[in-house]
Amino acid sequence: MPEAVNPERNPENPILIIGGGPAGLEAAKGIAELGYKAVIVEKANVLGGTPILSSYAALTPDFRSAEDAMGEMIAAVQRPEVDIHLGSQVTAVSGQAGAFDLTVTSAVDGPTQVQAGAAIIATGFQHFDPGRETQQYGYYEHDDVITLVDLERMLKAEQVVRPSNGEPPKRLCFIQCVGSRDRQIGNEYCSKVCCGVAAKESIEVRKLLPDCKVFIFYIDMRMYGYWENEIYWPSQEKYKVNYVKGIATEIVKKGDHLIVRGEDTTMGRPMEVPMDIVVLSVGMEPSEGTKQMAAMFGAEVNKYKFIETVGGALNTVQTSVEGVLACGAATGPADIEDSISSASAAAMKAIAVVRKTAMGVS
Amino acid sequence: MPTLDLSGRNYRDVPYEQKERLFEEVKADMRFDDYLHGCYDCGICVAACPSARFYDFSPRKIAQTVSREDVDLFYLFLNDSVWDCSQCFSCDVCPRKNSPGGLITLMREVAVKNGLASAQEALEGYGRVVYKIMATGTQVSPDMLQDNAFPDWGPHVKDISKNLETWRRALPPETLHTTETSWQVDDKTITELYLIWHMTGVMDMIKEVDEGLFMILQDVMEERLEEAGYDDISFD
Repeated sequence: MPEAVNPERNPENPILIIGGGPAGLEAAKGIAELGYKAVIVEKANVLGGTPILSSYAALTPDFRSAEDAMGEMIAAVQRPEVDIHLGSQVTAVSGQAGAFDLTVTSAVDGPTQVQAGAAIIATGFQHFDPGRETQQYGYYEHDDVITLVDLERMLKAEQVVRPSNGEPPKRLCFIQCVGSRDRQIGNEYCSKVCCGVAAKESIEVRKLLPDCKVFIFYIDMRMYGYWENEIYWPSQEKYKVNYVKGIATEIVKKGDHLIVRGEDTTMGRPMEVPMDIVVLSVGMEPSEGTKQMAAMFGAEVNKYKFIETVGGALNTVQTSVEGVLACGAATGPADIEDSISSASAAAMKAIAVVRKTAMGVS
Repeated sequence: MPTLDLSGRNYRDVPYEQKERLFEEVKADMRFDDYLHGCYDCGICVAACPSARFYDFSPRKIAQTVSREDVDLFYLFLNDSVWDCSQCFSCDVCPRKNSPGGLITLMREVAVKNGLASAQEALEGYGRVVYKIMATGTQVSPDMLQDNAFPDWGPHVKDISKNLETWRRALPPETLHTTETSWQVDDKTITELYLIWHMTGVMDMIKEVDEGLFMILQDVMEERLEEAGYDDISFD
């Protein structure tokens, strides 16, 4: 027999969502659709998260315009149940599951007090900075060494050119696993999306510049599920992208070109190949927001500073703090599909917290 | 560009444009798209390949090279590795549904059609076999098991050919107690075979690799075809 609703508790307490990227937007939409209230706190002045802030062109694997897809998600949260604080951060937290008291500080309007029954941390990731730990690939040294993110911006502008001279490249390569799967750097994990993104970008480059030869130097190509036949195979079979198993050891400048040195492992021979543009397939690291919010809520993080989920395979969104859920890339590398799925799970569990509190059950 | 000769065989290096032309000829074959999709470099074809156990031969490297459009390496294999394949198609186990063996078929055909010296050399020992199959329509007969005909079969071929009669009689089925023939092929079949050799360009290929053999076959075939009423057929 359920206990009676405790009138001391406020059943109207909204659910706080920190982060307005794909995960945060999906969580807010789910909560609103079920008739509950959500408060989104987003540090940037726009919604959409990294796909918008980093000017993604097309999403992996379906090539849908990032702006279009995020636009649809943003439109879905424009409803009375969702209160949106842009240019704002959570600066203080007290209370517990069912009744958190928060200070939300706007860069323009100053602090506001917000009450929430549960919190969802959807603060995402940041791209690995290839110049931070090591200058191995000369990202800050050679103009024509760029990252997946830089290329994404060029693809969005539909103008892929060598930064050094503004000319379209005739030979372009990707180097996979930059900042991932690397004990030297400390990021031992796989960032999950870079293989798919590189394959997707390789197709886009070949479409835009049919005369440009494209190579992908890899350790393993991790094209799980349908990414295999949707992007990997077409890039190789239809768009003739060359996949070479072997990671470059260094990039040197020679005249007008970059020389990529590595081993062509399956052919069993060393290689030194000239390139016009080298794209570093940078992985994911926890964003500043993820690290800050974990500290503020006292949620445990793993050794890489992503938020730890405590339910193993059976609960992918519960943090070490009751009433605090995490989703998307705040808990580790995730693509948009993963983020959307975990956001829905987090929304459902956050609603359960609010309902249980309102009904006075545990 | 100096090329790497893995085999010890010698062949002539040619300008890049010529290698590219040969490569394009392979790609232009209508079977090409069925034989090569993309290569995982996984090696399942090598694991399944009997030749790879005996020779420095890798169907993977051939699929990979053509897939990557590495024209220099393609030319190297065209002159060398493709002749190490026994065309058994065990490599058709490929998860991408490639057929490295099929690719090798195309490469061999291009090598032969273009009269590559390496192809002539590789096929040198097989003149009698080709003659036998093309002229009589029967398989290799036991009396052809001589060391000069099959230089790559090893020294035991010589021992066998010395006492062939005895060896054959030691085999249990009586039908194998023959050294000269395998089976009789009737006139109609032979005529049809000659027409097939003619119409599919096989005779043109023979002409490129072995002029002498071509002339012998030409005499035999033209004569029989004429008798069968095809007097307008000429192999020239």
